[in-house]
Amino acid sequence: MSFDQSDKTNISRRNALKLGLAAGVGLTVFGMNARIVLADEGQVLKVAHPAFDQDWSPLRGGGRTFRWNSIWWAAPMYFDSEGNIKPYVFTSWESADNTVWTFKIDPKAVFSDGSRITAADVKGSWEVASMPNTKSQRADQVLSKVKGYAEIAAGSGNELTGVATPDEGTVVVTLAAADPIFFMRLANHIAPITRASQSRGSDGEEIIDWYKPDSQPVFSGPFKLTSIDIDAGKLSFEPNENFFGPKPKLARIDITSIEDNVSATSLIKSGEFNAHTELITSTIIQDLGPEFSAGPLIPTSQHFWFNISRAPMDDPKVRQALIMAVDRDGLFKASYPDGPHKKADQILNSVPGADNSGFEPYPYDPAGAKKLLAESSYGGPERLPKILFVGISGPAIQAAAQFIAEQWRQNLGITAVDMKPQQDSYAGPDQNSVQIFRDDVGTRVPDAVSYLAGSIASTSSNAQNKLGGYKNDKVDSALAEATTKPADDPQRIALAQQAQKAFRDDWAFIPWYSQAMSRWATKEVKGLEKNLDWQIVEPWNISIG
Amino acid sequence: MLRYVLTRFAIWIPSVLIVMLAVYALAFYGAGDPIKLIFLRAPGDVAYNPQRIEAIRESAGLNKPFIVQFGLYIWNLLHGQFGNSLTSGRSVWAMVSAAAPVSFQLALCSIILTAVVAIPLGMIAALNQNSRIDYAILGSALLLWAIPAYVAGPLLMVGLIVLLPGASVPYGWGGILDVRILLPLLVLSFQPIALIVRQTRAAVIEVLSEDFVRTARAKGVPEIVVALRHILRPVLTPVVTQLGLIMITIVNGAIFVELVFGLPGLGRLTVQALINSDYPVILAITLIGSFLVMVSNLLVDVLYPLLDPRANDSRRSR
Repeated sequence: MSFDQSDKTNISRRNALKLGLAAGVGLTVFGMNARIVLADEGQVLKVAHPAFDQDWSPLRGGGRTFRWNSIWWAAPMYFDSEGNIKPYVFTSWESADNTVWTFKIDPKAVFSDGSRITAADVKGSWEVASMPNTKSQRADQVLSKVKGYAEIAAGSGNELTGVATPDEGTVVVTLAAADPIFFMRLANHIAPITRASQSRGSDGEEIIDWYKPDSQPVFSGPFKLTSIDIDAGKLSFEPNENFFGPKPKLARIDITSIEDNVSATSLIKSGEFNAHTELITSTIIQDLGPEFSAGPLIPTSQHFWFNISRAPMDDPKVRQALIMAVDRDGLFKASYPDGPHKKADQILNSVPGADNSGFEPYPYDPAGAKKLLAESSYGGPERLPKILFVGISGPAIQAAAQFIAEQWRQNLGITAVDMKPQQDSYAGPDQNSVQIFRDDVGTRVPDAVSYLAGSIASTSSNAQNKLGGYKNDKVDSALAEATTKPADDPQRIALAQQAQKAFRDDWAFIPWYSQAMSRWATKEVKGLEKNLDWQIVEPWNISIG
Repeated sequence: MLRYVLTRFAIWIPSVLIVMLAVYALAFYGAGDPIKLIFLRAPGDVAYNPQRIEAIRESAGLNKPFIVQFGLYIWNLLHGQFGNSLTSGRSVWAMVSAAAPVSFQLALCSIILTAVVAIPLGMIAALNQNSRIDYAILGSALLLWAIPAYVAGPLLMVGLIVLLPGASVPYGWGGILDVRILLPLLVLSFQPIALIVRQTRAAVIEVLSEDFVRTARAKGVPEIVVALRHILRPVLTPVVTQLGLIMITIVNGAIFVELVFGLPGLGRLTVQALINSDYPVILAITLIGSFLVMVSNLLVDVLYPLLDPRANDSRRSR
């Protein structure tokens, strides 16, 4: 048989087209298969995460990654969705003087390799969380009163001298000052318990990437991290077979970064995802139903804070006029007509003492407001400097700020109002003239004193920065006295209420809304209740269907 | 030629230094302190601790004067070290080298799609100048040009879900062989297609009046042969040059497409770095961008005579 060499080397145009077509079909099928492999059914919680976070260290203590800490790490104790404290790694806590606290570790508490969680692990975890380079956003909320913390935070130490470990199962904590609610501060995942020898290097600093599967870490929570692709924004967790608590119901938890809200909503609607870390859109209820974002109120609230040191807020009558000229029912309806949040009249909410606090809601009295403005040192709207808001980001916030501005225009004749989205970093030409900051305040423990200490006490960042160096001796002394009272002492609550009432008389904010802790999960997802700390209360109870 | 290339590189180095200095200065003096950004996200700023922030700033070297920080950055760069991300602590080189291949693959596919679709459409429009076909193609090109990626992406995604209930949402990256790439590729190619269609049309119309085309037609050469052999070849040179420039735009500008469709490329990384004021990452991406511009300009200059022999002749005649 003859063989034409030219046939071997020259492919005809027809054959080339056939080959191209076959390759195209093959590649398409391959591509579709790749997609099909990704689809998975059953007890798999698929979470859309709103940021391309590149740092998932559980010791960061804040940010969006923090919101999933409870699925893979255990805490000393935790608050359930009703606000009751529950034992976890620690089974008991006691203190005779509110300064030296003794905690007992559950003998059954083990890491994912079956080894015991010891007092040394607890101490080491707290120490590495306190180191500045760990960049924990909230370690100070939990540990700032422990002896030795101040030195670590300032970069001059690496040991919590106030933490002793007399035996494997006992942790004794000595505080720099008495704190009756110290045990409550520990009941969260801000400084979760890790194996100290894995998370902490010999220099005391956090070991980079120690928690990734390649480092073969041991986990203390109900799930363990089995894969992480930081650059693609994907993580998978599977049950920890040695978890010392109840057996998890889920087979897996997949977390995928999806920055775009439209994409995330589409993926949830199509059933490809069934939960979200934090989905805030103006059409969320229409898109995903009321159950998706429903949730209990938490001790966090949003307000418009007045910088009382800047004109025209330096005149109490102006402040009073500006507040009384705003219909706050209308303000809430303009921003969150469908919920899930609730209108706020005061700062305190969802903590003991929030109800019947004696804080009389600010009245809506346009005529009275106009009269006050006329009586003020500015004499009327025409002599007021331009009023500048910051923190006006997002549709709901814009709606609220525009409502306020419109009320001032209608009721007081004020027209010079400006709004900027930036808050902490506002660097425009009017930076030193900003008089109103929209921001939230809150607390991680169900305690009225803690709530107000972080928002209206003169030592708080809120008072120093947003309220322009606000200081009211009545507020400070009431809160200072309250902090010495035990958590269940009625006097503690009464003093907090007294402080809030004193703050009311300074007319320094427009109350807006109390925040709900949204589920951000489809109705098929059960057992996803969250606590004050944005953590899923009992991750082992999550199920689907 | 070697001398020419070396001269271009020599010019590029100070240009890049100026760009880097400007970017560094903007990041340094502009709004957004990365350390404060980490700490000011808690409700009520209760986590704010000036002592702690200062300790972190010191350990990251952010308390040094501007010129010292910039000098250190350039020194490290000369030693092949891009530094670590301020927010994640990861090596910037690792982050960029993970993201860049995605953007490059996407850009390459987009260029191929653009060439395959836009050049024939531009030719068809030109060969049917002022007809309904021409108007339809031009009108479509104008429409594609007018729709920004951040509108087209979500609209197409939602449209797909509405039109095809049960269809998978095209989200995520599975490589260029994954069917999920189709929608982002389309969105990314809209504007380049519109540009190349119009450019090809204009170039073909110009060539149509050339003597060699008239001669070929007069000789009775079939119209399809005239189009492919006599018209297309001279038109290709400027169009291919333009495609090279578009590639840079696509690599640098795929921000919205990468965000909407979840592609872990340079665009997505850029947005994250900007949000976090993560200087080392922003600078590394800027460096890559300016390098791309320089290399593509150099390639265009070097390849132009190869694509069009007349350009080579003119250089020789000088």
